[in-house]
Amino acid sequence: MLVLKGVAASPGIAIGPAISLPGETITVSRQYIAASEASSELQKILSAIKKTSEELDLCERKVQASLGTEYANLMSTHKLILQDPALKNSIVKKISKEFLSARSALSLTLQELAANFEKIEDPFFKERRSDIFDVGKRLLANLIGGKQEFFASIQNPSLLVAHDLFPSDTISLPENNIMGFCTDLGGKTSHTALLAQSLNIPAVVGLSSASKDVKNGDLLIVDGENGLLVINPDRYTLANYRKIQKELKKTESLLKTINHLPVITQDGHSVGLYVNYDPRTDTKENKRLVTDGLGLLRTEFLFMNTPQPPSEDLQHSLYLAVAKRFDMRPVTIRLADLGADKMPDFPLDEIDEDDNPFMGCRGVRLLLKNPDLLHTQLRAIIRTACEVPAQVRIMIPMVSSVEEVRHVRRAFEKTLKEFENENKKPVNKIALGAMIEVPAAAIALDGMINDLDFVSIGTNDLIQYLVAVDRVNPDVAHMYDPCHPAVGRTIHSIIQTTHQRGKLVTLCGEIAADSKMLPLLLGWHVDGLSVTPRMYLRVKNVIRNLNFETCSDLAQAALLMGSSEEIRNLIEQNQHEDS
Amino acid sequence: MIQQDIQVTNRLGIHARPAALITQTACGFTCDIRLAKDNITVDAKSIMGVMMLAAECGSSVHLITDGADEKEAAAALKKLFDDKFNEEF
Repeated sequence: MLVLKGVAASPGIAIGPAISLPGETITVSRQYIAASEASSELQKILSAIKKTSEELDLCERKVQASLGTEYANLMSTHKLILQDPALKNSIVKKISKEFLSARSALSLTLQELAANFEKIEDPFFKERRSDIFDVGKRLLANLIGGKQEFFASIQNPSLLVAHDLFPSDTISLPENNIMGFCTDLGGKTSHTALLAQSLNIPAVVGLSSASKDVKNGDLLIVDGENGLLVINPDRYTLANYRKIQKELKKTESLLKTINHLPVITQDGHSVGLYVNYDPRTDTKENKRLVTDGLGLLRTEFLFMNTPQPPSEDLQHSLYLAVAKRFDMRPVTIRLADLGADKMPDFPLDEIDEDDNPFMGCRGVRLLLKNPDLLHTQLRAIIRTACEVPAQVRIMIPMVSSVEEVRHVRRAFEKTLKEFENENKKPVNKIALGAMIEVPAAAIALDGMINDLDFVSIGTNDLIQYLVAVDRVNPDVAHMYDPCHPAVGRTIHSIIQTTHQRGKLVTLCGEIAADSKMLPLLLGWHVDGLSVTPRMYLRVKNVIRNLNFETCSDLAQAALLMGSSEEIRNLIEQNQHEDS
Repeated sequence: MIQQDIQVTNRLGIHARPAALITQTACGFTCDIRLAKDNITVDAKSIMGVMMLAAECGSSVHLITDGADEKEAAAALKKLFDDKFNEEF
């Protein structure tokens, strides 16, 4: 048995035999042909272009239907690249004049075109070479043939293993007997991952070596819940996963029945349950969710992959659409948390190469050094609040001192004044709060709480900073421990300090959706939780089965414990008693 | 032959979608259509060529149309730039 850890791209669990996608690589060798073969090689490439074009057409229609116009546009760019005379002319010339084989001619052409893009300095345009390779690989696959035949030949339900998958291949998986897949490349928000979610098939991506470690016919478990790939599981693991799989299926259908019910414990304690909303992945299923509001709108994506900061108009149009979608409920917009792993392409003030970016200039620190960015974003948000009755809340990321809060508040009030001068006023008062994720802010919260309207606990980073563990570093990742006594005590103290001033605390991060941690979080009297759409109903279900009084007792006991082990035992004991 | 300088005013510059629009529009005409910026001249009917220009917001490109429907082509392309490629969110 071998277990590989990747990124959970699409939830669910699939069990079945492996089938690997035959690789198609761009060769570097020059393969020559006899002059007499040129016309048949030309025929080959032309029919491959035709076939690829048909595939892209089909794919565009499917993407349009499942993901909408934004993604379909991506496919039409691919189609135009395929039809580009520069591509075709170069290939044809290489075959008919230099007598290269169709495959070599295509490979060389792709390399030449990509090399041209390599020379462009602007990173945004430079990235376009990946589009060319996408189209090129697809064309190559059709030239060599076999991919369609490969998919068509899959007789029994299987799990696909590939180095990488095209969105267009992904979309045809369910009709080809593929129940789940895993890839070496890709991240949680790659197009392939988004498609897998909309198709409802479990997927794990970013496994780096899966396509090498798996042989055809190996028994696989694709665990899209935890981002794991299990190769040839032992009997115990297999039985365990079959059980989980069954339970998941049962709960999925059960969960839909609680969509309209309140988020309330069995003994009547109610908690706000909000959703982390990403307009790019707003599937039909997500739209049906009944929620208490938007708990976290991340805005970094607006600032990424663009040569210039997003304008007020552009930001406003997005915020307005989001605010309308949530009607009069809370809409929490986090100011751009740029820096660290989210560095925009456009130039910023006072940002240099950083050896330790997570401790460097990110979040509010970066915004205060780039006041134009902050001002534009504040304007876009306030403008939105003037037009719709949503309860707009602005959240400041990465706060470590009260001075930062005051600086942002001054900028906020100054911007409000600008609108007042135009005789505009927010329909509802805008709340300004902070995401507490730096331990210093958590410990000295009493000093800044008077300047905040609300508090949100960002647990992913808070835990990381508390235990000084980078979750991406495999040597220490296991020490990232939500059960560490320091984590609970810090969360509890944040909640107490905030409540003493009569203000509310919500909590986001992975532990907000962790059924083991939920009894403790409720017991520490958190007012609200914000979770991803796909976890929303599950969390609601867990809360509806909890007893608030028991949770309070558990949470008090956990605060007195001195080790993770004790706390973990306490939680597990409680779960056993329940079941 | 018609030549004119056009300003790129849309926020993102000629990225993938505007490039696609330029190419699609250009392919609807029979005349020869070229775009030049700095020292590069490209065929406007080639999306890769248009993307190669890496024309960012605020830059200016030189449009050359030459052939039977050069007037219409020049006007249609100018309009695309002026409308900022209907950029919206």
